[in-house]
Amino acid sequence: MAHIHLEDGSFSLFFVVLWWITAIILVGIAVYLMRTEKKPNRKKITLAAFCTAAAFAIFQVSIPIFGGVHINLTPLIGILAGPAAGSLVVLIINILSAAIGHGGWGLIGANTLVNIVEVFVGYSCFRLLKSTIPDLFSRAGIATLAGLFCGNIMMIAIIIISGVQGVNQSTGQILTGLSLIAAVNMGVAVIEAFITGLIVAYIGKVRPDLLGVNDHD
Amino acid sequence: MTMIKLADKKGLSIFIGLLLLVIVVSLAAYGITGKMGIEERFTHAVGFVNMGEDEGGSGWFGLALEGSPLLYAFILGVLVVVCYAIYRHFSM
Repeated sequence: MAHIHLEDGSFSLFFVVLWWITAIILVGIAVYLMRTEKKPNRKKITLAAFCTAAAFAIFQVSIPIFGGVHINLTPLIGILAGPAAGSLVVLIINILSAAIGHGGWGLIGANTLVNIVEVFVGYSCFRLLKSTIPDLFSRAGIATLAGLFCGNIMMIAIIIISGVQGVNQSTGQILTGLSLIAAVNMGVAVIEAFITGLIVAYIGKVRPDLLGVNDHD
Repeated sequence: MTMIKLADKKGLSIFIGLLLLVIVVSLAAYGITGKMGIEERFTHAVGFVNMGEDEGGSGWFGLALEGSPLLYAFILGVLVVVCYAIYRHFSM
């Protein structure tokens, strides 16, 4: 569950604009790829819509573990909706979250990039491990852990590159603090991996076509 | 069949191994940072002071809603209206 929980004004305007533009370019590419598909995949679009609703709702619930954390379900979004639709989903979730005061408006770009990494890595691991680990539960769990780990790395990288305005901490001190946050976040990733594993295993049992398990991809 | 079962066991072993490793590391990190909310943890990490304490109340059974519940209801209402309007427009 990597998400930059800083307020507007934490990043300088240059970096706010930079992360926004980068996120818009990536989401733009994703939308372009979806639009150029020969046949619109209605099943995937419906799944993406459900993922948006479910992930947005769960994003707002603070779970009383490690002092209060929330889960993202971003790797699950990647597994179910794919990286292209998933990129659009996480942008919408971040915009809606900022609208209710969860994360700053200026950080939507940065948070979208963090979540896109989680979506992409989750999706890629799930697909790449297909022949090595046929068991859906373990594969989805491992993909979730990998996705969230990379999301945390991305979160740290964005904050370190941007710098935080109005603080006197050195880069080393910020890096140490953020590494501890990432480590605590990974504890929550255990719960998310377990939930994702169970959901994917269940979907694999009742609707394997939604996971594309029979696809030759 | 046996190969698949072996591969399944291998996957589960890797998953459990990773879980245990992550749990140990995160508990150690939690021990260092102590109990604090995620926003508070962030503000401490980057060096802000007296910020990040705007978490909601204790909520229901410890599960709290982040952000403003009023805005949450307002935006939900707006979304319902917009979705209904779009649905009506395109269904004709």
